[in-house]
Amino acid sequence: MTDWRKQRTARDERIAAGRAHASGKVVRHEAVVELLEAVLRPGDRVCLEGDNQKQADCLARGLGACDPGKVHDLHMVQSGIVLPEHLDVFETGIARRLDYSYSGPQGARIAKMLYGGQIELGAVHTYLELFARYFIDLTPNVALIAGVSADRAGNLYTGPNTEDTPTVVEATAFKNGVVIAQVNQIVDTVPRVDIPGDRIDFVVEADKPFYVEPLFTRDPAAVTETQILMAMMAIKGIYAEYGIRRLNHGIGFGTAAIELLLPTFAEKLGLKGKIATNWALNPHPTLIPAIESGFVEQVHCFGSEVGMDRYIAARPDIFFTGADGSLRSNRAFCQTAGLYACDLFIGSTLQIDLQGHSSTVTTNRVAGFGGAPNMGSDPHGRRHPSDTWMKAGREAGGTGDPALRRGRKLVVQLVETFGDGLVPAFVEHLDALELAKKIGLELAPVMVYADDVTHIVTEEGIANLLLCRDADEREQAIRGVAGYTEVGRGRDRAKVEALRARGIVRRPEDLGIEPLDADRSLLAARSIKDLVHWSGGLYEPPARFRNW
Amino acid sequence: MSLSWYEASARQRVAALLDAGSFEEFVGPEQRAMSPHLPLFDLPRAFDDGIVVGRGRLDGRAVYLAAQEGRFMGGAFGEVHGAKLVGLLRAALTETPDAVLILFDTGGVRLQEANAGETAIAETMRAIADLRRAGIPVVGLVGGRAGCFGGGGLIAGTCSRLAVSEGGRISVSGPEVIETNKGAEEFDSKDRALVWRTMGGKHRRLTGGADVFCDDTVAAFRAAALDLVGRAPAFDLATLEAEQARLEARIARFGDCRDATAIWARLGVNDPAGVPALSAADFDGLVAGLEGTTHDAR
Repeated sequence: MTDWRKQRTARDERIAAGRAHASGKVVRHEAVVELLEAVLRPGDRVCLEGDNQKQADCLARGLGACDPGKVHDLHMVQSGIVLPEHLDVFETGIARRLDYSYSGPQGARIAKMLYGGQIELGAVHTYLELFARYFIDLTPNVALIAGVSADRAGNLYTGPNTEDTPTVVEATAFKNGVVIAQVNQIVDTVPRVDIPGDRIDFVVEADKPFYVEPLFTRDPAAVTETQILMAMMAIKGIYAEYGIRRLNHGIGFGTAAIELLLPTFAEKLGLKGKIATNWALNPHPTLIPAIESGFVEQVHCFGSEVGMDRYIAARPDIFFTGADGSLRSNRAFCQTAGLYACDLFIGSTLQIDLQGHSSTVTTNRVAGFGGAPNMGSDPHGRRHPSDTWMKAGREAGGTGDPALRRGRKLVVQLVETFGDGLVPAFVEHLDALELAKKIGLELAPVMVYADDVTHIVTEEGIANLLLCRDADEREQAIRGVAGYTEVGRGRDRAKVEALRARGIVRRPEDLGIEPLDADRSLLAARSIKDLVHWSGGLYEPPARFRNW
Repeated sequence: MSLSWYEASARQRVAALLDAGSFEEFVGPEQRAMSPHLPLFDLPRAFDDGIVVGRGRLDGRAVYLAAQEGRFMGGAFGEVHGAKLVGLLRAALTETPDAVLILFDTGGVRLQEANAGETAIAETMRAIADLRRAGIPVVGLVGGRAGCFGGGGLIAGTCSRLAVSEGGRISVSGPEVIETNKGAEEFDSKDRALVWRTMGGKHRRLTGGADVFCDDTVAAFRAAALDLVGRAPAFDLATLEAEQARLEARIARFGDCRDATAIWARLGVNDPAGVPALSAADFDGLVAGLEGTTHDAR
């Protein structure tokens, strides 16, 4: 007779083994290693919660300290490879196979370990893709997650940084998996129940609060006049012209400059209420002046940001908050919102090629994707119209019956022609191709594919790729805004002027923008302290961003 | 909106600080007095080598003035940069203006021309001593992005008076240098709040290193300069002995403190943790109520 309950039986055995190290569901942090060795089995698929910001670091240290004789050959399925411990387990043999999304700070080490064969790579995903696979073919056997507090029944309060937790728990708990949560504190009553206790099998009171990275704070003091010029062009040449109300901003000083110009430059253009009202965005401190000026109607967040808690709690009309008053974020939902309900994504990149493919990979770093490709792509499953979307669709043209033509999402790359260390952002061939060859990736790590990019904004102007009708026009439009890079100097002057006459390439003066007006005095806030003032003292910047 | 000193360039500061239209530049950029050393390192040069020197009027008074440009090589002292400053100070000794102003914005000596830079620091300190002995006040203004570090910090220590804003920092070794030599446990240079409460304007004012704490506006620095020019201490043996005694007392009183907030508490500040958030006006009120922060030892 077929046994239909093998997984359930295994789960019961794992939990029983773990209970030996727990009091009820509660486990002392000193007993983490014993707990993990009791629950884990060789070859398990494990999600060690490593998000964009929040890290289950106590459990990561515990996993790293397990005996590789007992715990080995794990298959790690987690969105972020952020802490050194996330990779240490591959050196000791505790883990062997990896599927992930993002590896910012560990990008160079991952590349080295892939090259050296220490990591067997499944794939590098976008967030939504990895989350989707949790429910289809990468379902975790064990999830190691992080929250702010829990009660003894396991009811979990994730705090403002909910991020991936609900998704990871959903996939694990409802498919015979074991969920172990580390919390900063065990309490009698949690402020709100983010994850019901019957989905949490063990709760570990961590030795210290989990680490949160302030990834989304950009100091206005470091915004340059070049970035301000580009922001002015984006606002006047794209936001205003397409009437962009629903949008997502990538991280970077260029997008921070746009946020800081909303209450000043955009307000003077009469754009309040007409652009940038509804956001899929982490709570960027640089958005505070726009919120306080009445530009912003609402913001849904992937995660939170260090120091923003009190401000968010005081602005429930703007942010999604729980009954306890604090932010409720959710990466999977916000990524979906960014993909389907936003009309524009704008972000920066490291390299753009002659057709508009872009990548943040360099030859010795595999930074992963995170969410940018989800936000920075045209969703073919979209069926609701908006003026912005329809206008972009008309510009893209195409053959066939115009009545059957659909809209287009605007995907804008905001990039200075030369990046850090005067490295050109425009290249003939992406380093990603070289890297893929070197470490044997079947698919080159391209962040945004050319057919999704609609505009490129540099300090030289805006290239509208929607209006390009063939590959040659596209290449000349890109060369036309590539400035003094080799790619830019290789342009055909006559062709670029012809594109300019058609509005495909637009210089600052074509937009009525005087580059000398791009001055830091245009920024609504010029320092972190200005942001604190804008917030009425509610924003509490971390020490590393304070100069007082 | 009042021009931010921190945000302004050296030339903007000079133009807005002095009486309108009164500034006359010496060895201006049109003379192309540039570093002879930087091309050896493939580094770009500036037509003024990162410093503006000249004379003008401050509320009618004749002043000689030097302003460092923190945005060019961190306002660092090179050969030409230093020579322009030393030349200005020596000219002031013969021309006897009412005062000399130094608008610091420097990380210290330029490593690519370190010997010339170090020599310039020494010559500058000597020239300032000569000016002060001649009864010409030398007032330093610190509020730029690069702060006042290295040799700049030494020079600041020889001035008759100093004004500093919240963004300004005065020290000899910079945060990264201390961390590199002593470790992050001793001084975490990435903890900017720590950096500012150790080297920033408020701490320097509270411990008597600076004489005025002012808002980050050119107008506030102008008012501070006028105030300080009018109350420069004498430069004689008594002043120097008083300064020596003040510094000895300071190390004896605060030498065991592990953090600036401990020093502030010992000074009698009721809420040391709240000091960084105080506005300039509230901070002035706090300083006025404390003993020993205002003095003529220099």
